[in-house]
Amino acid sequence: MTGHTDWRALVAVAMVLLIAPAIPGIATKTKSVLTGRRGAPVLQGYRDLAKLVRKGRVYSDVSTWVFRAGPVVVVASLVLALLMLPLDGRSAPLHFAGDVVAFAGALALGRFALVLSGLDTGSSFEGMGASREVTIASFAEPVLFLCFAALVLATGHLSLNGAVGPAIGAAWPRDTASLVLVALALFVLLLAENARVPVDDPATHLELTMVHEVIVLDHSGPDLALVLYGSALKLTLFAALLVCVVVPRAALRAWTAPVAVAAGVAVVAVLVGVVESAMARLRLTRVPQLIVGAGALALFGIILLLR
Amino acid sequence: MTFVFWSVALLLVAGPIGALVSRRAAAEFAYRACVSAALVLGAVPAVRVLAGGSVASRTLATPMPGGPWVFGLDALSALFLLIALGVGTAAAWFGVAYLHRGVTARAARTSHFFLSTLLAAVAALVVARAAVPFLIAWELMALASYGAIVLDHGQAGVRRAGLLYLAATHTGTLLLFVLFAAWGAGAPDLTFAALGGRTLDPAARAIVLGAALIAFGFKAGVVPLHFWLPEAHSAAPSHISAVMSGVVIKMGIYGLLRVSLLMGALPAWWGWALLALGGVSGVLGVVWALAQHDLKRLLAFHSVENIGIILLGIGVGALGVAYGHPAVAALGFAGAALHTMNHALFKSLLFLGAGSVVHATGTRELERMGGLARRMPVTALTFLIGSAAIVGLPPLNGFVSEWLIARSMFGAGLSASPARVAVLGVGVLGLIGALALACFAKVFGAVFLGRPRDASVVVAGESAAGITRPMAVLAAACVAVGLLPGVVTPPVLRAGALVAGHANPVVPAAASDPAAMAATWFTLGLGGALLLLWGVVRSGWARTPWAAATTWGCGYGLPTARMQYTASSFAAPLLGAYRGMTGVRVVRTDASLATHVADPVLDAVVTPGWNRLQEAARRIRPLHRGRLSIYLMYVVAALLAMLTYLMLAGRGA
Repeated sequence: MTGHTDWRALVAVAMVLLIAPAIPGIATKTKSVLTGRRGAPVLQGYRDLAKLVRKGRVYSDVSTWVFRAGPVVVVASLVLALLMLPLDGRSAPLHFAGDVVAFAGALALGRFALVLSGLDTGSSFEGMGASREVTIASFAEPVLFLCFAALVLATGHLSLNGAVGPAIGAAWPRDTASLVLVALALFVLLLAENARVPVDDPATHLELTMVHEVIVLDHSGPDLALVLYGSALKLTLFAALLVCVVVPRAALRAWTAPVAVAAGVAVVAVLVGVVESAMARLRLTRVPQLIVGAGALALFGIILLLR
Repeated sequence: MTFVFWSVALLLVAGPIGALVSRRAAAEFAYRACVSAALVLGAVPAVRVLAGGSVASRTLATPMPGGPWVFGLDALSALFLLIALGVGTAAAWFGVAYLHRGVTARAARTSHFFLSTLLAAVAALVVARAAVPFLIAWELMALASYGAIVLDHGQAGVRRAGLLYLAATHTGTLLLFVLFAAWGAGAPDLTFAALGGRTLDPAARAIVLGAALIAFGFKAGVVPLHFWLPEAHSAAPSHISAVMSGVVIKMGIYGLLRVSLLMGALPAWWGWALLALGGVSGVLGVVWALAQHDLKRLLAFHSVENIGIILLGIGVGALGVAYGHPAVAALGFAGAALHTMNHALFKSLLFLGAGSVVHATGTRELERMGGLARRMPVTALTFLIGSAAIVGLPPLNGFVSEWLIARSMFGAGLSASPARVAVLGVGVLGLIGALALACFAKVFGAVFLGRPRDASVVVAGESAAGITRPMAVLAAACVAVGLLPGVVTPPVLRAGALVAGHANPVVPAAASDPAAMAATWFTLGLGGALLLLWGVVRSGWARTPWAAATTWGCGYGLPTARMQYTASSFAAPLLGAYRGMTGVRVVRTDASLATHVADPVLDAVVTPGWNRLQEAARRIRPLHRGRLSIYLMYVVAALLAMLTYLMLAGRGA
C-alpha cells in the first residue's frame, strides 16, 4: 500500500522523528517551571544524544548479541508503528485492514527486545525492571486493544488510517462521550507505557524504584543513545496517537495538519509535565488499578457504542 | 486421493521396517525415508486442493455396519494433513537423533513405530468422511500416542501421566459414540454426507454439539478438560511432546471445525460457548504457564493458551454463521485454521528446542539454567524465533493468525446483530498476547541469557546437527509464513469459507484478500528494516571501539550467578495480580523459599473425584472373586436379564 501514499505523509513522519527528542524536554521543562526551578533547556535531549553517539561502548562480559540487537529493534519497531498513523489527516504511509493489531504488535516487538536485552546482562536490577515492564504492559496492552476497538466501532474503519484519520471528524459529534472516554484512557496509557508519573518517575536514579531506566543500566554510548531516542519517540508516538484521536485534521490543509499534530504533541507533553508536578508516584502495587481503571473507561466507551 | 492412501500405507510400514532391518543406521535411514516420502505424497494433493484444485473423494464399500467408508480431501482436510505430516516429519527426524542417547536401540525402535503409526492414524483421520473409519483412526491415534508417551515407563510419573491421558482420551471417545449415535439416528448410514444431510431438531442438535464440545474439547485441552495435557506433554520425550502439541491436540480443533461444517446451521449459543471457553482457556492457560518452572510443563500450558486463541476464532466464525455474516464467519474460521497451523509450527519448534536443552543440560528446571545462548547458539536463535512467534510479534507467523482473528472480531463488532459484542474479544486477545510476552521473556531470559545457575549448564554444548536441523527448518517455516501473509491467507480463507458454508463458486471471491497483500508489505518491510538496521549497526560496531566489563552492580564488582533475577521472581508480580487462580504454593523457611505449582483442576477436582469414585467402587468389589465360574455365571445372568427385557419390551410394543 506504499504506492498510493502521498509523499507529504512521509515528510510528516520525518518531522515527528525529528522533533521527538524535544518532547520529553518539554515535559521536564514544564515540571521545572511549575515547581519553581529553571530546569534543563528543552533541547537538552539533542545534546545528550549527540554526546552519547560520539562515546565508546561498554558491554558486559555476560551479554550476547541479544543485548546488542535490543536498541536497534526498539527504534525500528517504533518507526514502523509511526508509519501507521495518518499524521496529515489523509492517509498513513502504511495501512491495511486490521493494522491496529500491527500497531500494537510493533510496540510489543520493541518491548520484547528491550526486556530481553535487559535480561541478557544477568543483573538483578535489570531483571527487576524487565519484570515490572512486562507486568505493567500486560495490563496496558488489553486497554490499548479496547481503545482501538472503540475507535473501530465509532468510525467503521478497521485501519488506523481511517479510524484516526478522515473518519474521526464525523464520529466526534455522533459519539462524543465514547471518544472522550477513549482519549482519557489513551492518556493514562501514555503515562503508563512511557513510565511517567504516576506509574514511574523518570527523574529518579534509585534503581529499586524504576522501571524503564533500570532496564538500560548497562547500555552505553550509541546503544544508550538509541534507547533514549526510542523512549522519546515512544512518548511522541503515543502523544501523536492521542492528538490524532482528539483533533480531526481532514479539513486542514495537507501542510497544516502535520503542524497541528506537532503542536498537539507539544501540548500533550505540557500536560504530562503538569501531571508530574501535581501528583506523586503511585506504589507499584497500585499501578495495575490505575490501568484497569483506564480499561474500564475504554470498556464503557465501547458499551456506549454497542447500545 | 490415491496419493494420500499411499502416504498412510508408507507411514504404517515405516515402523515395522525398523524391526526387519537389523543394522541400526540402515533401519533409521529406511524409517526417515518412509516418513519423508509420506510427507511428499501427502503434501502434493493437499497443496493442490488448498490452491483451489478440485476436491478429491473415494468410497470403499464394506460389509460392516455404518455404511460405506468414504474418504475425501477438501481444503480443511488438506490443511490439517499438511500440518500433521510436516510437523510429524520434522519430529521424526529429530527423534532419530534425539533417541541416540539415553535409551536402548530397542526402545528407540518402539518409539519410532508408535510415532509413525500415530501419524498414519492422523492422516487417515483427517480424510475420513464416515463415522466408522473416523472412530477407528481416532482410537488408533489415541493408542499410538499413549505408546509414544510412556517410552520412559520405568518412571512412576510417566506411567501416571499415561494413565491419565488414556482416561481422558477414552472419556472423549465415549462421547464421540454418543455424538454419532445421536446424529446418525434415523440417517440411512453413518457417512458424513448422510449426517450433514439431516436437519436436527434443536434438542438433538444441542446433544450433538454438546457432545462434540466435550469430546473434542478433551482432545484439544480446553479448560477445564485440559488436566491431562501438561502431565502427558512433560512426561513424553520432547519430539513426542512436539507431535502431541502440534498435531494430536489439533485433531480436537479439526473435529470442532468438521462438526461446524457438517452442521451447517449453527445455533448462536454454540458460538458464545466457544468464545467463552476460548477466553477462559487462553487467559488461564497463560497465567498457569507463568507459574511453571519446569520448561516442558510451561510449554504445555501454552498449548492450552493457544487452543484458547483458536477457539476464539472458531467462536467468532460460529457467531458469523448463526447471525448470517458470511465474511465474518470465513475470517474467524480461517484465523482459527491458520493459528492451528502456526501453533503447530512454533510449538513443535519450542518443544524440540526444549528437548535440545534438556539433552544438553539434563534438567528441565528453569531456575538451574542460564547463559545457554553462548553455549547453544542455534538452539537459542531458533527458540527465540519460536518465542517471538508464539507471542504474536510481527513479522512472524503468530502475528498473522492473531491479526486474522482480531479482524473477524472487529468485523463482528461492526455488524448490526448481537454478534457485535464479540468485539470485546480483542481485549482478551490483547491480554493473552501481553501475558504470553511476559512468559516467554521469562523463559528465554532464564534459559538462554545471563549466567548459568548450575554446574551442569556450564558444561552444556550445542546439540548434534540431527537435532538442530529440524528446528532450523521449523523456524524457517515460522519466518516464511510471517513474512508472506499474502501467500498463506488465501488458502486458509478457502478453508474458512468452506467451514462457513459458502457454496463452492463463492469460495474464490472470499479467498481473495487485499488486506493480506498489504499486510505482506508491512511484514516484509519490518523484516527488511530489521535486517538493514542490523547490518548498519554491525558495520558501525566494527569500526567504533568498545570495551568489556562486568555487569553493572551499583559499584559491586563481583556479581555471581546467584545474584541474577530468577524466573520465579520475574513472574512474581504478575502472579501476585492473579493470585487465587494460579495454584502457586509458597513454602518458606528462615533460609529457603520454594514454590510448588498445583493444577487447579487436576488437584482440586479430578483427583478427589476419582478417589471418591474408587471409594464408591469398593462396595461392589466383593462381586469380583477372581474365579472363572463366577464370571461365567455373571455373563449368563446378564444375558438372561437382557432376554427378559427384550421379551417384556416386545410384549409392550
